[in-house]
Amino acid sequence: MRGLGRLAAAGLFLGLSACQHSSLILLPDEGGGHGAVAVLEANGKPVDAVVSQPDSRTKLGDATPTTRPAQLKGDEIALLSGMPPPPKSFTLYFVEGTTDLTPESQPALAELRAEIARRPGVDVEVTGHTDTVGSAEDNDRLSQKRAEQILGLLATVGIHRSLMTAVGRGERDLREPTMDNVESAINRRVEVLVR
Amino acid sequence: MIGKYIPVAVLALLTVSPARAEIARIKSSTGVAAIERGAGRLPAAPGLQLLAGDRLVTGKNGRISLSFIDNTRFSVGPNSRVSVKDFVYDRTRQRGSFLTQVDRGSLAIVSGHIAKSDRDAMKVRTPNSLLGVRGTRFIVEVPK
Repeated sequence: MRGLGRLAAAGLFLGLSACQHSSLILLPDEGGGHGAVAVLEANGKPVDAVVSQPDSRTKLGDATPTTRPAQLKGDEIALLSGMPPPPKSFTLYFVEGTTDLTPESQPALAELRAEIARRPGVDVEVTGHTDTVGSAEDNDRLSQKRAEQILGLLATVGIHRSLMTAVGRGERDLREPTMDNVESAINRRVEVLVR
Repeated sequence: MIGKYIPVAVLALLTVSPARAEIARIKSSTGVAAIERGAGRLPAAPGLQLLAGDRLVTGKNGRISLSFIDNTRFSVGPNSRVSVKDFVYDRTRQRGSFLTQVDRGSLAIVSGHIAKSDRDAMKVRTPNSLLGVRGTRFIVEVPK
């Protein structure tokens, strides 16, 4: 009797998932290559499956999800073409110890302004980076301060403050990999990301 | 008496404000497209800032596109209802957690820094499944 009850419950679940068959379409990344999506649960039960085949369609809700090659339909193509463009990054270098842009960085500032004007609903992330001289904590503070200074500078050249946020990444993202406590003008930089 | 209450108010403000910080910005929308926040409803106009807990809702011809502060990008299709249930992000360390629920409709995702920060730090829930995002571009569809 109990077995029958379970079967009936399972039937109910299958019925539910049949009319609510969510699906996953895994696509190649924009820059080539592809990632993966794990299926962690189906109908409240743990599942251990990873979808890693690009251009595939996976029906969700079964204990063992089935993946098949996929041709995108019209509404899926429209969905992808509605995706915001990837963020664009600009790197600015400064005369050491100042907030004066190096002459080489002046054209980047002009491009930055043009990119900001081009994007509806734009937001701008100003990220400071240091070299590896000094402690990691000091560099977090220094990079944050540098980012805030540059944000102020960008505000004075007409980029509205409400569009911008300042972030300090310290010495986590070295442009030129070095050992600890190495001076590097290339690593002491500000990246401006336009989203 | 007053002195007793002010610190409580300040504490409440401090604990509430980080959760109300901007997590994403609307880039474009067409047709019937709105953000539901609590009991309120805002038109999904470009530049509108999203908060954790917001719901993206579209009608028959509606679409919304948006970018998150960790560089994740969303494109929401017609007849959709998508909630950002959880979004925590440390900009300095580029780590966090992100849970999106797709109740109905379609959502295309290009994942950002959070998906890279820890295994399954970014998850997507549908009515019948839970997905762990391992850095990728994909679509989730939930037909009615």
